[in-house]
Amino acid sequence: MTGGYDERCAADFAAVGEGRDLSRADRAWLARVVTGAVRPNRDRPLWDLAHALAALAQATGPRDGRDLVTLALDPGLATAEACAARFSGSATADTRGLVLEGEAGWHTGWSGLARLLALGEFVLTAEDLGSFGTVTGWLDELAAAPDADGAAFLAKRLARHLSAYRNAHLPLAREERRFRALLGFLGGRRAFSDADILAFWQAEMASGERPGFRTVAEHFVTFEAGAHLVDGLDGLSSAASLDAHQGWEDRLDAALSDLTAAEPTATLAALLADWPEGPKILTGAEREDLADFLRLEPFHRTRPLTTLRAASFGRVQSGIANRLRRGTGGADIAERAACTEAESYAALTERAAALAAHLARMLRIAAALRILERDGLSEKTRAALDAAEADLRRVRRAGFEDRAGLTAGFAAAETALLRVAEETARLERALAGLARQHPPDAGFEADRAVFAEALSAAYAGEAAA
Amino acid sequence: MSDEARLLAELHAARALMRAPPPTPRVGHAALWAHATRAGGSPVDLAVVRALRTDPDATRRYRTLLAAQAIAHATLAAAASDGALLRRRVGPFALEILEGTPPLLILRGADTRPPRTIEAWRDDEAVRLDLPPPVEGAIVLALDSAVPEAEALGRMLRDPRCAVFLL
Repeated sequence: MTGGYDERCAADFAAVGEGRDLSRADRAWLARVVTGAVRPNRDRPLWDLAHALAALAQATGPRDGRDLVTLALDPGLATAEACAARFSGSATADTRGLVLEGEAGWHTGWSGLARLLALGEFVLTAEDLGSFGTVTGWLDELAAAPDADGAAFLAKRLARHLSAYRNAHLPLAREERRFRALLGFLGGRRAFSDADILAFWQAEMASGERPGFRTVAEHFVTFEAGAHLVDGLDGLSSAASLDAHQGWEDRLDAALSDLTAAEPTATLAALLADWPEGPKILTGAEREDLADFLRLEPFHRTRPLTTLRAASFGRVQSGIANRLRRGTGGADIAERAACTEAESYAALTERAAALAAHLARMLRIAAALRILERDGLSEKTRAALDAAEADLRRVRRAGFEDRAGLTAGFAAAETALLRVAEETARLERALAGLARQHPPDAGFEADRAVFAEALSAAYAGEAAA
Repeated sequence: MSDEARLLAELHAARALMRAPPPTPRVGHAALWAHATRAGGSPVDLAVVRALRTDPDATRRYRTLLAAQAIAHATLAAAASDGALLRRRVGPFALEILEGTPPLLILRGADTRPPRTIEAWRDDEAVRLDLPPPVEGAIVLALDSAVPEAEALGRMLRDPRCAVFLL
């Protein structure tokens, strides 16, 4: 997925998430704070962080900023429970969380504190510790005067710091321009169709930007998930003070966290990328095929046509882009742009069905390996398990001959297998439904004409060179 | 201007960040920080010690953490040794080795906030020693050849490339 951040930012973000073993919801919150997807005021979390650090300084009486750094980097304070266990009963805590003496309106709960400390680690360690000394110096000053003024001053510094970081590592201008174009294209509509995605891609191709079809589809995924949240934002942007629109913020915050936390493709992509070593339940090629089909989550369930277009013509287009980058190898540009090599929808549908069938078979084998005590089971279940046992002996894949290793391998892959099998089955059902409405062959030929025309026109210069 | 496109772009980037592949495992900042702030004589994390010996990235990050919490530090000696006697400045401190049996390390300038620990780094070799409290403005440490750390400190400090952290 393309998208608005550089490698440095991805590494800084991942280091905090991995180091603290953050939950998915907390990672999602941190991702939003880092990218700035917080409203009405994207500096609010830094204001809270500065106040939390001041409250912790009041509570723990640090010698200097070092002690605050130690708190912020401590992976043992990554959860609400850990924070409550460590700080409840301290001078600046009430039953629900931290308060700051001299700042009557400010409060954070224990889960909020755990998140803020993760943000603290991020601002301290960002740019692979590039500003560690500077931020530690700021914490020295706060430790010397941990009051409301000190907190407000630190909040301003941190806000500037993170804002500079975003300018350097989150190149959002291109994404923003594309979303502006998308909003303009839809003209205020919130609902869109497969045809809209294709037409918007064509328009972008004609305008000279030449984004990948998959990239454009990704933007629609974000739009679909986020559009209902941004309604009414205009009223919020005039928020005068940090405390304004508290209700709005809570609502938006909850909804926005759902959006990224419930974003399941990360799990699917990560599941496929980190598939456990062991018996070849899936080959490398099968994993690649699945990743390709499932990358536009949730469109593989809801928009099978766009999923097919991305798998077939999206692949043609990335082939052209790769060829342009390399400058050599494989078919030439004009030939590729004509889409003669594009995989047909019928072939893709068949392949998805084969993958779904394979995964279902692996699930039955997993059950047979796992359920050894079968006396109490019904006749039918026993027969199914016996059939899976017999089937297991027919599988010719690496690692399937060693029963003990196979059992361990399936146990390790169980969660991933269940989830990928479920999503692939949903893809298969969506594709079957589409095939009943629209004959795949006619649809493919019509699309091929559209994509060939758009690609040939867009890459005419390079094709002629 | 409408903020919608901006928020969607930020959400898009947040979603993408969530999907970024996990990093290759390495020693975490927290473990390096615990090592950098350890009290003298306290147990050390052997994985960190190993990483500091073998992994230049871990060493670089560790030295960044050390520098940030040091009272003073210097990565290179401003003036080279004259052979018998070494003098160098580390921030506001003057550091001197007086040859003899044993050689003495003398640290001056510790009036307001005396350092409690010295850590020296040369290439991938590191040594850390606790310092005694100052007497009449000077901290004096015997670089006794019978104590391996003290002997190593004396040897390393004579090399102008040796980095010094006063903690």
